[in-house]
Amino acid sequence: MTEQVIFDRGYRTYDGPRTGPTGARRAVYREGLRRILGLGRKARLKVFPWSLISIALISAAIFIGIHWAIGDIAESVGQGVPSYGGLFDFYSAISLLFIAFAGPQLLIPDRTKGVLSVYFSRPLTVDGYLLSKVGSFATLVGAFYIVPQTVLHIGLALISDDGFLPYLGDNLDILWKVPATTLCFVALHGSLVFILSSVIGRTGIAAAAFLGVLTAGTAIAARVAEASFAGARWVSLLALEQHPRIVRDYLFEDTVDYPAELAGFEVWASVAVVAALAAVAVWFVRIRYRRLA
Amino acid sequence: MGQETVVEIMGLTHDYGEVVALQDLDLQVPSGVTGLVGANGAGKTTMLRLLLGLLHPTTGSIKVLGHDPEREPLEVRARIGYMPEGDCLPKDQTAADFVAYAAQLAGIPPSEARRRASETLFLVGLEEERFRFIGDFSTGMQQRVKLAQAIVHDPDLVLLDEPASGLDPEGRGRMLDLIKRLGQFDIDVIVSSHVLTDIEQTCDWVVMLDAGTLLRSGPLVGFDRLGTVLVEVVDGPDDLASFLRHHGVSATVDGRRLVVGPGDDSLERAIVEAAASTGSGLIRMMRGSASLEDMFVRGGGSG
Repeated sequence: MTEQVIFDRGYRTYDGPRTGPTGARRAVYREGLRRILGLGRKARLKVFPWSLISIALISAAIFIGIHWAIGDIAESVGQGVPSYGGLFDFYSAISLLFIAFAGPQLLIPDRTKGVLSVYFSRPLTVDGYLLSKVGSFATLVGAFYIVPQTVLHIGLALISDDGFLPYLGDNLDILWKVPATTLCFVALHGSLVFILSSVIGRTGIAAAAFLGVLTAGTAIAARVAEASFAGARWVSLLALEQHPRIVRDYLFEDTVDYPAELAGFEVWASVAVVAALAAVAVWFVRIRYRRLA
Repeated sequence: MGQETVVEIMGLTHDYGEVVALQDLDLQVPSGVTGLVGANGAGKTTMLRLLLGLLHPTTGSIKVLGHDPEREPLEVRARIGYMPEGDCLPKDQTAADFVAYAAQLAGIPPSEARRRASETLFLVGLEEERFRFIGDFSTGMQQRVKLAQAIVHDPDLVLLDEPASGLDPEGRGRMLDLIKRLGQFDIDVIVSSHVLTDIEQTCDWVVMLDAGTLLRSGPLVGFDRLGTVLVEVVDGPDDLASFLRHHGVSATVDGRRLVVGPGDDSLERAIVEAAASTGSGLIRMMRGSASLEDMFVRGGGSG
């Protein structure tokens, strides 16, 4: 048998299509999804995100089972078994952990490992890079909220006494209320985690800072909101974590008294806080990355 | 090569506030492998970032492959590959994944990007290791991944910033061989280095920078011809030396020999004419090649 050895394959030129800046943005978007989910990475980077995703899906399945066991959805909701609004609350802690993991993973390694110098030597602008990262974040965190809700919605329709299609027809408002609530959660938490991840150099510290800001804001607001000094009520808005919940309660007609509500603010104040924080994040992160590019 | 001139710089000045990084540069870089040499802080990296459109000239203009990188940065970057000096690799990705990703960032469709990543890693000698995580690579292997990401998308021009930095002699040799091969693949290369011997081994054109100013830009071949000429004469070199000095040619007596120059091809003719005029019997003339370092020390020579 003749031994055959390839010594040199040389270099092949490329005359095919080039997708330009659009292709570059798509590549950053896809890579962002892969990074958050740990795809193409070592096993330890997969464990955390996939565990949280599994918990979120399993919790939806368990609630469907409880509703089914009780037999009547209205009765089970009346007994306190979470439905759409309640499901947001039930896995909010899990979703915060997921966000605390995803945001830093998206921004910090690129910056601290010097990979930005590769990105910005390609046909990719700072805005294109950041938009793609926001897209990856919104897709996965949005799915983290919406997919379990979808599972719950289909599950409740399947066990409904009214039948599958009549149930879906009677609950069409879910189709916009869940995405609207999700948008509030993603916008507020995403803005905060992006601001922190754009200045902090370690993923673990950024995650801790994100959770710390939310926790500290809530604690401060709860203590100060009912104080008697001038302007105390405005401090209640510092409880950032409450704002998506206030919007959710408004949409799903739940009532929990959050500091801002106790201080007399309407739901629109919470919407304004979410929008303002998102605007600050866009301005701050853009400035920061324009300097880095 | 696609173009005769890949980079054209006119009246370029760039400052960082009060610090002037590049001052009043006029420069044309032809196709081929060009060395950008200068000490640390000479302005090499600033120049590369200006070519990429990541920095903008304070005054003056730049054309890269016929485009203005300030006004058309994406058009320029789509045709350029860049290997930064510092760390630029995600340690938690495999070499194959990262190089394919780098290709996609340059607009190559995903399936083709994966194929090209594999081929390019083969080219740089990482075919066996391409599915290993970059964090597990040695410095030399990481430098080769950096080179692979710079060329994977078939760029017209590659900018390499200190590509042999941090490599041991063997790794340095491999990297320089790879750079030389890029020129054979019709890829124009601008390689910055403060190690002059690296440039001598790889380049056919050299641009010398010193403290932000241009010392010299010219073919490396010409540098060899700008050496000194060693002359031996029958009865001692003093008369010949005096004659040459009188006619403005540098000549130093070194024992029984005379070191004339440095100078270009006309030096030998001047020596022969001087020998004829003084009646000196020439035994031997031998041209010594000037190293790039000699040229740099002399401040760029006559080019």
